[in-house]
Amino acid sequence: MGALSDPFDPNSILWQGCPCGLHSSMWEHQRAAVAEAEAEALDSRYYCVNSKKANSPAYDDRLPGGAPIAEAAQGEDIPSWENREEVVSRLVDNVVMKSLFPTDMSRRAFLRTVGASTAIAAVSQFIPLDEVKAKVIDATGPLEKSKLNVGFVPITCATPIIMAHPLGFYKKYGLDVDVIKTAGWAVSRDKSLSGEYDAAHMLTPMPLAITAGSGSVAKPWTMPAIENINGQAITLHNKHKDKQDPKLWKGFTFAVPFEYSMHNFLLRYYVAEAGLDPDKDIQIRVLPPPEMVANLRAENVDGYLSPDPFNQRAVYDGVGFIYKLTKEIWPGHPCCAFAASQQFIDENPNTFLALFKSIIDATAYSSNQANRKEISKAIAPKNYLNQPETVIEQVLTGRFADGLGKVRNEPDRIDFDPFPWHSMGVWILTQMKRWGYLEGDVNYKALAEQVYLATDAADVMKAVGQTPPDATYASYEIMGKTFDPMKPEEYVESFAIKRT
Amino acid sequence: MSNKVKLQALMVSLVLFAVFVAGWHVWVEAQKGPAVDMDPEYAALMGITAKGGSAMPGPLEVGEAIWGHIINPFYDNGPNDKGIGIQLAYSIARVLTGFFLACIVAIPLGFFIGISPIFQRAVDPFIQVLKPVSPLAWMPLALYTIKDSDMSSIFVIFICSIWPMLINTVFGVAGVRKEWLNVAKTLEVSRSRMAWNVILPAAAPTILTGMRISIGIAWLVIVAAEMLVGGTGIGYFVWNEWNNLSITGVITAIFFIGVIGMCLDFILAQATRLVEYAE
Amino acid sequence: MNVMPSVSNQSNPAAETTEETRVSESAAMISIEGLKRSFPTPDGKSETEIFGDVWFKVAEGEFVTLIGHSGCGKTTLLNILAGLDTATDGVIIADGHEIIGPSLDRAVVFQTHALLPWMTAMENIAFAVKSRWPDWSKEKIREHCQKYLDLVHLTGSEDKKPSQLSGGMKQRVGIARAFSIEPKILLMDEPFSALDALTRGSLQDELLSICRSTGQTVFMITHDIDEALLLADRVVLMTNGPQARVCEILENTLPKTRTRSDMHTHDNYYPMRNHLIEFLVNRSKQFKEEISSSSYNPKAPPVVRPSAQ
Repeated sequence: MGALSDPFDPNSILWQGCPCGLHSSMWEHQRAAVAEAEAEALDSRYYCVNSKKANSPAYDDRLPGGAPIAEAAQGEDIPSWENREEVVSRLVDNVVMKSLFPTDMSRRAFLRTVGASTAIAAVSQFIPLDEVKAKVIDATGPLEKSKLNVGFVPITCATPIIMAHPLGFYKKYGLDVDVIKTAGWAVSRDKSLSGEYDAAHMLTPMPLAITAGSGSVAKPWTMPAIENINGQAITLHNKHKDKQDPKLWKGFTFAVPFEYSMHNFLLRYYVAEAGLDPDKDIQIRVLPPPEMVANLRAENVDGYLSPDPFNQRAVYDGVGFIYKLTKEIWPGHPCCAFAASQQFIDENPNTFLALFKSIIDATAYSSNQANRKEISKAIAPKNYLNQPETVIEQVLTGRFADGLGKVRNEPDRIDFDPFPWHSMGVWILTQMKRWGYLEGDVNYKALAEQVYLATDAADVMKAVGQTPPDATYASYEIMGKTFDPMKPEEYVESFAIKRT
Repeated sequence: MSNKVKLQALMVSLVLFAVFVAGWHVWVEAQKGPAVDMDPEYAALMGITAKGGSAMPGPLEVGEAIWGHIINPFYDNGPNDKGIGIQLAYSIARVLTGFFLACIVAIPLGFFIGISPIFQRAVDPFIQVLKPVSPLAWMPLALYTIKDSDMSSIFVIFICSIWPMLINTVFGVAGVRKEWLNVAKTLEVSRSRMAWNVILPAAAPTILTGMRISIGIAWLVIVAAEMLVGGTGIGYFVWNEWNNLSITGVITAIFFIGVIGMCLDFILAQATRLVEYAE
Repeated sequence: MNVMPSVSNQSNPAAETTEETRVSESAAMISIEGLKRSFPTPDGKSETEIFGDVWFKVAEGEFVTLIGHSGCGKTTLLNILAGLDTATDGVIIADGHEIIGPSLDRAVVFQTHALLPWMTAMENIAFAVKSRWPDWSKEKIREHCQKYLDLVHLTGSEDKKPSQLSGGMKQRVGIARAFSIEPKILLMDEPFSALDALTRGSLQDELLSICRSTGQTVFMITHDIDEALLLADRVVLMTNGPQARVCEILENTLPKTRTRSDMHTHDNYYPMRNHLIEFLVNRSKQFKEEISSSSYNPKAPPVVRPSAQ
């Protein structure tokens, strides 16, 4: 099952495609199997949850530091990631065997007939496997650097980046990472641009904006992984408890954490759907998240669409109430990103790969509801989020006080999912275009594909035993309106309230 | 001042402090509203202010927090949580680095401008334009060009320290009494002796006053700069406490910032006294 | 050189001899020749002449004072002598060389003592001594300074800063500093004017005794008649500015041994004193008419010796 399975084992599953040959990928194969086994509809998150269920016991029992690679159901022999040479050796075997046999079925048939040792000898006759392996080991080489600085803004979106430190995910991949708290995204961006941070927690629109040169100097930036999906909320001041209809918000002042943020675009989208022009009927200010609660208390703003824990913190401090979780606007929307410059990737390919894997690994770990309490405890202290643990726990577990006197239960209030869908990038670009952050012709797909490293993410997800979706574009329904990633320009045109 | 006056002043200081602390205590107590009636399950998820309490700490809580920092100033729980001693050391190191760099530039430069009336006029418009610029306005420019937040903070300290020193040096050097220069001239004193033994000591009190103003500004600015770029330093400490909306932490930081600022000023004041002369 | 005034060069009937004939007797330590100083007017379009056409000489070992009202350019003249200011026209020859700048050969005692306030009395003098003899050891400098501090009766105040000294003591340090470099010429700019009468008197006495014992050539500015009569061998009388001129030169007819206490008992004291008062009160203002009505020769101002006879 995957790149590290033993290709000389007739029982292992090597192909990207499915073992029965009916489906183009493991994912489809498993989806079909699940669909048969369970009548249950697909999860609103499109993929992954189901495939994981079918896949292996993987994340539910696994703890970091333990066997990192999911053990296959049949207990096949998979080399440990700590042993780099063994991993490379296995990868080379795999590539060779894949190239020799047109389908996985024919490979297994061949091996069953001649036996593994004969097969190795036969293959070695015309392909010097050992030499190739040595060359590949030299080519991939050791980590270019193991000491890294990774910046984060202290919000729950950054959970995977942060908790990878106390829970040992970076260490597992041989990295010594300092996770450094940063005052805001402008600073995070500037420190990343200046090379002080090797990689950083950003907002999903930021790598697109940096690459396009919108709001900063243009520099090719990449987003290897999304951090979290959902997890934001619109919080209003307690005095507005009677104004629960956005049409009544005319003249309100709202805060968002950054211009190039999902927060800004979702807030604009939301009020525009209610018929308010976000540039004329309300005022939107940029405030660093930690200052939002204080500004709400001082009534400098009427509300904000901000990352947690500052929505929950407003409730905790009795200042405001959670009006709407963003998952109620667009279920599964992306929010924060793990981002690095193209330059860093080019100069440190192996380090980057190790970092990438630890993030993907940590993201999956964060995604598991069973781990959320442990994570809350790990990231609440001063060194990380510096918040009361109960606030973090309410955000991560989804059992929270809403500020209106009710305890709500929304397990998917925040979730973590690394796959950087190109369609999400396109949606963000359409909103940047819609609100005038981008001018002229925008090549939506090209830019999204350049910045959002979906293919690489898929590879790494596979390498650590996860199953990525096989497509990178999907269609979304946001507040009843369908978004087709293949028709971005039409989508922009379809809005009544826009700046273009 | 006689000892009696000193003692009386001390007594008044103590009384003022006691009145302040008592007033603070009474005010904080008055802030506490009636307990809000809440479902216990819901209440478990809420903070103290939501339940009618006040986030404003009393003098005892703050005193306790300060004491906690004093007895354990150098702990290190990772890059984002270090003891106040370490944070203050970072800030002081930045301030002193920027400040000394500014000294190295401002004093010789001010010296040459001061002895040349032409330069004085020529440079004046630049100084007048650059002087009133808020030091933090340089931060984005510094981050972009220097590409290092630590060096950028130092640069900001440098740029804000330089003006008072430069202006005072120019003023001090240009204002050296003509008769002292004439004495030196009639003694056929060499240029370097003139500079070191006449102009510099004559202008020293003015220069030191400029340095004292500078270090005060530098200490004000470092807190703001570190709040902006984060990472380390007392400004970051304030920001981190603010991030947690911890008023106690912020007041604690204010206390330490004040004490260190006072010490820096005291050192420069003593240095000024060393070079001061009565005419 | 200077444009000669259109006054004929014949001897002044009021004077018994002329400057020119008198100085030829001994070598001139200072020779002021056609000196003129003018400043631009505030509008910068023209110039105001402070003084001009000044000619006189100071012989070696001679004590000459210059007397005149404020504004006649006395201090300016002394500054030019010191090399701190430059003449608009004319030259000064000092010890055979034209003055082009300050020199250790000409020490200056300033009106305001001009001590460096951050240095002690000793250091102030040592600063001068070190300038004069850069190679001297610290001990030698200290010893030399001590000698001059003792000379002005400041023994025991070596380590005091100027702010700890009285006005008279400060000026004593100033005098000691000037003498300590053993200059050929001592230039003094109203050195005692800021002092009270008693202090001034004792300082005058000290200065007189030092000068007599060392044979120092001194050029001093003053506006105090008694001071001039006590100290000076000759008194140069300067008319009011602008366009001040040397009116005449008074030779002191009092005996060389005069002291402050017995000076006024001498027969010649009052004639000289009255001559000077008459000059300061009346003639210094009316000199322009005097020039036009007489055969005044600026190169050889009249010399007068008022006496009881």
